[in-house]
Amino acid sequence: MSIKYSCSHLDDPHAPLPPSYPSSSSSCHPLEKLYFCEECDAVRCDLCVVMEIASYFCPNCLFDVPSANVRADKNRCARSCFSCPTCESSLSITASDTPSEGGSTQAGPPYTLICSGCKWSSKQVGWQFEKPTGIALQLQKMNTQAELVQSEFDSLKDHLESYISLSTSAPSAPSSTRSTRNPSRHISNLTQMAQKALHRDVGSMVAYSARNKRTIAKDGEKEKLGWDELSEYEPKDSWRKVGLERGLQNIDTLRQLEESGTSGLASLDGRWARSYDHSKMANDILPQRIPLQTKLTKRCPHPNCRHLLIQPDTKSVRMKIKMVAANYLPFVEIGRRRRRIPNSEITITDSLEQLSSEDIERRRRERRRTKGGMVFREEDELLGAPLKAGETYSYQIALTNPLYDPIQIRLTTPHQPKKAPTPKFNLTIPTPHFTINAMKDAWAYDEEDEDEDFGGMIGGSETGFSEEGTAITSNTGIGTATGSGQGTFSKKSRLSILASGKNDRKNRDREGGVEKRGNISKVNLEVEILDDVKGKLEFDLEIRYTYKAEDLGTSTEKEGKANEGKTKEEYKIFTFWVRVNIGKIE
Amino acid sequence: MGAFDSIITYEKGTYIETDTGNKVSRKATIIGATNIILGGKSIIQLGSILRGDLKRSISGQNVVISIGRYCLIGENSIIRPPGKLYKGTFTFYPIRISDFVHINSNCIIEAGQIGLGVEIGKNCIIGKFVIIKDLAIILPNTVLTEGTVVPSMSIWGGNPGKLIDTLPETYQETMEAKCKNYYQRFRAA
Repeated sequence: MSIKYSCSHLDDPHAPLPPSYPSSSSSCHPLEKLYFCEECDAVRCDLCVVMEIASYFCPNCLFDVPSANVRADKNRCARSCFSCPTCESSLSITASDTPSEGGSTQAGPPYTLICSGCKWSSKQVGWQFEKPTGIALQLQKMNTQAELVQSEFDSLKDHLESYISLSTSAPSAPSSTRSTRNPSRHISNLTQMAQKALHRDVGSMVAYSARNKRTIAKDGEKEKLGWDELSEYEPKDSWRKVGLERGLQNIDTLRQLEESGTSGLASLDGRWARSYDHSKMANDILPQRIPLQTKLTKRCPHPNCRHLLIQPDTKSVRMKIKMVAANYLPFVEIGRRRRRIPNSEITITDSLEQLSSEDIERRRRERRRTKGGMVFREEDELLGAPLKAGETYSYQIALTNPLYDPIQIRLTTPHQPKKAPTPKFNLTIPTPHFTINAMKDAWAYDEEDEDEDFGGMIGGSETGFSEEGTAITSNTGIGTATGSGQGTFSKKSRLSILASGKNDRKNRDREGGVEKRGNISKVNLEVEILDDVKGKLEFDLEIRYTYKAEDLGTSTEKEGKANEGKTKEEYKIFTFWVRVNIGKIE
Repeated sequence: MGAFDSIITYEKGTYIETDTGNKVSRKATIIGATNIILGGKSIIQLGSILRGDLKRSISGQNVVISIGRYCLIGENSIIRPPGKLYKGTFTFYPIRISDFVHINSNCIIEAGQIGLGVEIGKNCIIGKFVIIKDLAIILPNTVLTEGTVVPSMSIWGGNPGKLIDTLPETYQETMEAKCKNYYQRFRAA
């Protein structure tokens, strides 16, 4: 059971590809992880936002590391935070007990690093410190290890830097020197070769841009295409040479292994994060400084927007700017699964696959009509239980309004692409149009409930009567009243429902198949699973909501001058798509 | 949120409800109640043990366990103040639990501080003097070793516990809604 919201990334909002396309999964995320850009009026996700590092901190001592120091510190804590070489939990600095006069012991130097998880002690590798602070600095002074690695790294960096500096200067260079090293040219070169070989266009952004470039270059001068001349790097120490010298060491290692067994070997996890040249024995692995963590600033990815969506506060967990989709889009939940058990009069014996779409439609209508007459029995089922092929299930879908104004919802299924595989089920939404009340503070709801109780006590009052009336109509003619009746509401009357916040208590309980409570509205969904199908059951829903625009100033500017007269009441429509996974068919 | 969550019932009379809305099981073992502060609307479920008696050796009143609002101490969980040798004598230190903290069943907690909006899964062991900052998730069956620091907005799991992932920015709202929802659903039958 999961409900994910679709993000169209930088495209104009559109329905995601149907769930039967595995490639569509990258555009669906849980609502908690989505952002919302007010300027673009669009949903943004972690895959498309632009992230910048706002601050660095050590997850162990929680020290905020100035970004200027991070590079020199090699992205690790430069104070006293070390991780255990065997279990990776943080090491604590422990003073050793020295006996003093009077028989009692006194804590004092030398200090050691001890893992509270596995009791590893830095004595094992000969690390002992005079002071309990600034361990990393003390270690740097007394330890010259890793110099070999460092010098090798530095020379490799120097070697590559010449290449990097050339390629970064490329964009600023005039077009005549386009032959400068630009890594993307490799790709364009490849696609061009592929195009030649295949005698057709190879779809790729790079190829496209390369072709464009060429047309520009044609009238200028012939573009020079060539591979980058990156000279071969010669390592300072050949692993062969070192390896030969290490023959004796290897024999020692093997001897140790014979004694200790496999437990003497360092775990792969432990070795993974270390330098390329390390010992395989657990005893030789040294503690490492704890890697820093970051707080991220997130921006809208649209090139013309770039507005901040998330700006963290370095001091606290609060966010200075927090534009999250949860504050804009209704929260969708699915629950109350029921399996439909037909009564004896109606039998679903003929296989559904043989029916034409007309028949299915007729059947659907029939079912809707007969629903009120209790032809079907419904049995509650657990949400997580496996689904069965050939059965019809009814669900309730709940939408929670995050806005302080009532909203109008339209619930539909998005259009399927032409070549999409036929779905494994038929989905019916008996109540596609409904409203959700505005979000209020918790105490406001309590008051409303009290009001209602009071109204109920009076009994003969008008409100009580009208409520009863609606209940009767919805019982007898639920199908027509909800499915079409609500749907054919003229836009004006629908909006009047929105505008009249106080009237909604009347149609609060049952607005024709809609269950309302506070800022939550629940409607039914029917899923008719076809015979002989298996696998995951997922479907997309298109949810369109109409809401009152808050900032009239900007909206009128946006909407254009045609609407100038209508400054009082402004309604806006936003559409989003959710992917509902209701389990597996067995 | 939580539109389909069913209510969690307990037999009437098995829980004591205080003026501030705390619900404390009669079958919870609470020792040294005078040293325990409950913020209100917190639930202490049956079988849990709160050791308010483990206080500093200095005489007089002092708070040993303080628990904020909308917290949950799950079934059979143990809250025990951490203690250590300090200048030759063994002393206990107080444990501070902020608002919106859910500690699920069968946990052993010896932390020094648990921040706002922290969820601790089932069967966790939180070692002595662990500091959990605001907004964190400790996955079920995690063991945090003594003195571990859990930074804000992180997910920890494993034995020994390690930083696994970070939380989305909306987690505070999610957790607060979850805790309030849980309290409202926890009712007498």
